[in-house]
Amino acid sequence: MSDTELIANPFLETDLNVSAKRTEKLFKILFMLMAGLLILPVLIILTTLVVKGGGMLSFDFLFTNPTNGMTEGGIFPALLGTVWLVGVALIISVPVGVAAAIYLSEYAADNWFTRSINLAIINLAGVPSIVHALFGVGAFVIFFGFGTSILAASMTLAVMTLPVVIVATRESLQAVPPAFREACWNMGATRWQTIRRVILPNSVSGILTGVILEVSRTTGETAPIMFTGAAFFIPVLPQSVFDQTMAMSLHLFVVSTQVPHVPEGLPYGVALVLIAMVLLMNSASIALRMYLRGKKKW
Amino acid sequence: MKLTRVLLSSVVMSLTFAGASQAANTLIQNKGSDTLVNVAQAWAEEYQSVKPDVALAISGGGSGTGIAAMINGTVDIANSSRQMKKKELKRATDSGQKPVEHVVGYDALAVFLHMDNPMNALSFNQLGKIFGRGGEFTKWSDLGVSVPGCGSDKIVVVSRQNNSGTYAYFKKAVLKSAAKAGVIVKGSFRQGTLDMHGSKDVVDLVEKTPCAIGYSGLAYATDHLKLACIAKAEGESCVSPSVATASNRSYPIARPLFMYTNGEPQGEIKEYMDWIMSDAGQCILKDKGYAPMRDVSCP
Repeated sequence: MSDTELIANPFLETDLNVSAKRTEKLFKILFMLMAGLLILPVLIILTTLVVKGGGMLSFDFLFTNPTNGMTEGGIFPALLGTVWLVGVALIISVPVGVAAAIYLSEYAADNWFTRSINLAIINLAGVPSIVHALFGVGAFVIFFGFGTSILAASMTLAVMTLPVVIVATRESLQAVPPAFREACWNMGATRWQTIRRVILPNSVSGILTGVILEVSRTTGETAPIMFTGAAFFIPVLPQSVFDQTMAMSLHLFVVSTQVPHVPEGLPYGVALVLIAMVLLMNSASIALRMYLRGKKKW
Repeated sequence: MKLTRVLLSSVVMSLTFAGASQAANTLIQNKGSDTLVNVAQAWAEEYQSVKPDVALAISGGGSGTGIAAMINGTVDIANSSRQMKKKELKRATDSGQKPVEHVVGYDALAVFLHMDNPMNALSFNQLGKIFGRGGEFTKWSDLGVSVPGCGSDKIVVVSRQNNSGTYAYFKKAVLKSAAKAGVIVKGSFRQGTLDMHGSKDVVDLVEKTPCAIGYSGLAYATDHLKLACIAKAEGESCVSPSVATASNRSYPIARPLFMYTNGEPQGEIKEYMDWIMSDAGQCILKDKGYAPMRDVSCP
């Protein structure tokens, strides 16, 4: 392209423009591929599980005890055990986590105390789950004397997932516009009245999202419950939080690495149920958030 | 707010639903050896029909885990595929426990080879040279064989994590004896072994790896493995591992399996231990691939 052409039509593309556009396209495709790559493992995992484990699924598989050295029968004690573990962990961590988040978001001044709490939350979130497990053994099983029990395991899980609840709750509290609070205070309401009547109702969707995220994380955890409350095999269902229980995640580990002569489909079936529980929980979270967001008034 | 109530009540409901189901009056805690865990599980499963009001909670983790729990006083019965060490006994007595030893059966420790491996028989000294520190066998050609599918010729030595009773017994029975015979300097494992976390992992790996050699309890053996015939000394006739050869002690690496109770067993624990030693209990053990304490005729 010559200068005379450019002078004749200044909007013609120069070589520089062309090459810049080409690079632009190249990078767009590259980044898109990387993003697309994310779907791949999910697809592969789900297809493998459905193909290899789908045949295991039946009413009996979900609702009967394992038999014949855990190579046959169902997974009911493990399924129910996971519901117990997650349920009790929620009962412990949600009140504590939400209360802590309310303090941090609504009351705390920006001083060394608040900063050290925030630092602790970040560090707690970074502790590997096996370290939580050993902490749980030392603290809940031995020191507090709960023994290996649902209570000890759930408390370990609760400590582990507290940061998730706190961070999610704090963020949804802070998403409530400051004008809401100011308007409320100007009407003469106290801080607690403001929180109770205005802030919590307006942030419940975010809090629930955090809770459900916690549920899906606790469902899959193995290490923290392995030493604190989950058993390899226990033929009876738990009666109270002081009992031991089987759990889905540990059961998956056990049937895939410890029990000899397990039919090939069984571990896949267990994994499929486990992942279905988590996916179900996640989709419930998304639906709930959409519903509650639709009700928001700003 | 309604929704939270629905969520909460569903959690409460599922918990009460769980609470309404079957009950057991006594729970016996049983933890330890991964070798014994599957027998323990089978016993627990069967014991449900013998005494429905007694339940057993079975956990694995390795002999060391069970013994540690016995020392902490957190189990009723600890399973172990090795004897408690003096040091451990002392720690247990120091913390107020009185471990009492019960031998409940025997286990043949099988040495696994890949199906394509032409090796059939191995002596203690050869095993020592393969598994032991400073042992001279690092290639299959050192043993005079070439393994199809094992291009590198390197022996892949598969072992267990060091709190495993199987690991400890193999070290004591095979490596120490090879060291005594002078073929290796110290009776310890060589460095660079692949230490698996369970017997089943050892089996899976050796099945898939032509270069590999590994060991674990006979109960974990599958049809896709070759079980080496073991001779105690060079030139002696070798014995293949089986329940029968472990029972009559002709197989050289057969070990007793232990259960430890805290004090002489009493009440429900005594009844359970007695049932384990009865024909019914011993037949389950035999069915799982272990050698019973005596000749039992099983259905």
